[in-house]
Amino acid sequence: MKNSNLKRVLLMLGVMAMAVLFTACGKKTSATSVKHITYWHVNAQTQGGATVDELVKKFNDTHKNIKVTAKYNPDMYKGLMQNLQSAQASGKVPDITQVGWAYDNYFASNFKYMTPTDAAKKFDGNSKFIDSNFTKRTLSFAKDSKGHLVGLPYSLSTPVLFINKDILSKYNIQEDSLATWEGIKEASKKIHDQSGKYGLYIQEPADTWAQQGIMLSNGADIQKGGKAAFASAGGVGAYKYYQEMVNDKLALHTPWAQGMDSFIKGDVAMAFTTIAQASHIKKSASFNAAAIEAPHFKDHKTVVPVGGSMLAITAQDSEQQKAAWEFEKWMYKAEAAVTWSKGTGYLPPTKVALESSAFKDYVKENPMLDPAVKTLDNAVPWTSFPKKGLQAEQAMIDARDKILSGSDVKSTLETAQDKINAQQK
Amino acid sequence: MHNKNKRFLPFLYLLPTAILLVVFLVIPILYTFYLSFFDWNLIAPTKEFVGLRNYLEVFTDPVNQKVILNTLIYIVFLVVLNFLVPYFISLVVKFFISKMQGVYKVLFFIPSLFSLVVGAMVFTWILNPVSGPIAYILKNFGIAMPNWSNSGILAITVICFITNWKVFGYNFILLLTGLGSIPKNIIDAAKVDGIPKWRLIWNVILPMNRGIGIYVLILTIVQGLQYVFTPINVITTGGPYYGSSNMIYQTYLNAFVLYKTGTSSALAIVTFVIFLILLFIEIRFVERKAKNYA
Repeated sequence: MKNSNLKRVLLMLGVMAMAVLFTACGKKTSATSVKHITYWHVNAQTQGGATVDELVKKFNDTHKNIKVTAKYNPDMYKGLMQNLQSAQASGKVPDITQVGWAYDNYFASNFKYMTPTDAAKKFDGNSKFIDSNFTKRTLSFAKDSKGHLVGLPYSLSTPVLFINKDILSKYNIQEDSLATWEGIKEASKKIHDQSGKYGLYIQEPADTWAQQGIMLSNGADIQKGGKAAFASAGGVGAYKYYQEMVNDKLALHTPWAQGMDSFIKGDVAMAFTTIAQASHIKKSASFNAAAIEAPHFKDHKTVVPVGGSMLAITAQDSEQQKAAWEFEKWMYKAEAAVTWSKGTGYLPPTKVALESSAFKDYVKENPMLDPAVKTLDNAVPWTSFPKKGLQAEQAMIDARDKILSGSDVKSTLETAQDKINAQQK
Repeated sequence: MHNKNKRFLPFLYLLPTAILLVVFLVIPILYTFYLSFFDWNLIAPTKEFVGLRNYLEVFTDPVNQKVILNTLIYIVFLVVLNFLVPYFISLVVKFFISKMQGVYKVLFFIPSLFSLVVGAMVFTWILNPVSGPIAYILKNFGIAMPNWSNSGILAITVICFITNWKVFGYNFILLLTGLGSIPKNIIDAAKVDGIPKWRLIWNVILPMNRGIGIYVLILTIVQGLQYVFTPINVITTGGPYYGSSNMIYQTYLNAFVLYKTGTSSALAIVTFVIFLILLFIEIRFVERKAKNYA
C-alpha cells in the first residue's frame, strides 16, 4: 500500500516536472524566434489579392522567424483608412499598411508610424537600401507637405491614352497626331462628324487625378507653396478645352464604369485613364487596342500626377518594426515587385525591378505598359494639401462637376481655389 | 416577497433587449448628438467646440439645401413607385384578377432576394446611355437615350427605379396580405347591397387596411431613403454636383469620405428628427385605427 502511494507521488512529481520543462521550452521558443506581423492591403481577389497571398506565402516559407498575415480591406484606401481609425482607437494597429497617395498628409498627421529613413538607420545602420532602390523622383511621391518621407512607394500608375486602332485607321487618323490635346480634338471631330461616335472619354471617378494631369500638361500648377494655384491661365485653358469637348459631344461625360464600358464596346475612340485598366481592356476589347503616352497641350510638356500607394510601417513595438522592415525589404526585391506588378497592373516602384529582364519581358508581351513606364519620368506627386486635403479633393471634384454641367470655368475654378486656400490657414 | 419578484420579472426579461438597444442605439445617438457640436476629423485627439455652427451649416449651405430638396423629391418618387403603384397592383390582383395570385406573388418577390449592389451594377450596364442594350434598341428607332447620369432629376428617377425593382415585391406582398385579412363577410355584404367596386375599395377596403397601409408608407420612406444609398454610392456618388445625393448619402460622405464628423452628425440628427416625426404620424394613425376597433 505504502509502496503504491509512493509510486503515485513520484509519478505526479514526474509529470509536473515534465510540464514545467515543456512550458519553459515553449516560452523560450515563442520569445526568441517567431514574430507575427500583419499586413493591411486593399487588393481584392480581382485586383491582385491572389498575388498578395502568393507573395506572403513565399515570404513565410522562406523566413522561419517572421510570420506575416495579410488582411484585405474592402472599399480601397478609403475603407482601409476607416478600419485603421478603429484599429488605432482599440490599440491593435497593423504592422504594415498600404496607404493611397491622396491620404498621404491625413495619414502622416493623424497616425503613428515609423519613417523608412528611421527604420533603415535603426535596423540596417545606413540608408543604402532606400538610396539604391528608389530614384529621388519616386521618393518624392511618398513625402508629406513638410517634405518628410512617410512610407516607401509601392505601386505606381500613370494615366495613358488608350486608343481604338480600328476606329483611328478607319477615319485615317495618325497616332502621332494624338500627342497633343489639340490633335485629339481634331481627331475626335473627324470621328464624330463621320460616325456620330464620341472621340474621347476622360475618367471621372471620385477624384480629379486625370483632370489634374490635363491641367499640369498645360503648364498649370495644382498647388504652389502649400496653396491651391490651379485657377491660373493654364488650369482655366485646360478645363475650357474639356468643357468644349463635352458640349460639342466630342467627349463623353459619364461615370467611370459606363465610360470604360463604352470604350470597350467601341463607341468611344480614345480613353484617358489609368494604366491599371490595361489588363481589363486587353481582356475585354474586341478591337485592336493600344496605349500611347499621356498627351500635352501645344508648347507644353506632359506632366501627370502619379497614382498608386505606399507602404508605411505602423508597428509600435521595436521588434515588430524590425520584422515589418524585413518584410518590406523583401517585397521590394525585383522578383517580388515584378510578380506584384503582373498581378495588379501597376508599375513596380524600384529601379532594380523596372530594369530587370523579367519586367522588360513582361512589357514586351504587354506593350500597353510601355508608355506608362516612359511617363514615369514626367510624373509628379499627387497633390495632397497640408490641411483638410480630403475636403480639398472634394472641392476639386465639385468644380469638375459644375464645369461639365456648363458653369463658367474661370469663376468656378477660382471659387474652388479660394475655398481650399481658406482651409489652409 | 413573491409579489415583489413578479413585479421585477418582466424587467429582467426585457433586460437583454434593453442592453442591446442602449449599447447599439441609444448611446450612439447620444454620442452623435454630442459630436454635432464639434469640429473633429474622427481621429485627432482634440475636438473643437463650435456650438450650433454645424446645424446652421445644414440649413444655410447651398449644397445641403440642395440635398434636403433632393431628399423630398426622393420621398415623393419613392411613395409613388414603392407605395402607390404596389398598392394599386395589389388591389387589382386581389379584387379584379382571381387567377394565378400565387404566381404574381413569387414573380414580384424574386428581385428582393438579390443584393442591391448587384442590381445597381446590372442597371448601370443596361441603362448605359451610349452602349447599353436599351440605348442600342432606341438607336435603331433613331432615338438618342438621354445621358441620365448628368441630370440630377433623371439620376434620381433611375435610382428610385432601381430601388423599386428591389422593394416592390416585398411591399406588394405586405399590402396583399393586409387586403386578405379584411373579413370576407363585409365585402360580401357590400356586394349583396350592389355597391360598385370602386366605392367598396374607397369606402370600405382602404380604411380597413389603413394600419398596414400606413406601415408600408412609413417603411417606404424610411427604408427607401436608406436603400437608395447603395445605387447612389455605386453609380453616381451623389453627382452631378450633389444632384442625386440625399441626406443619408451626404451624412456618409461627410463622415467617412471627408471626415467632417461635426457636419455629418448634425445632418444625421436632423434626419433622425424627420424620421421621428414620421414615426409619430405612424403611431397616431395606427393607434387611432386600433382605438376605432376597440
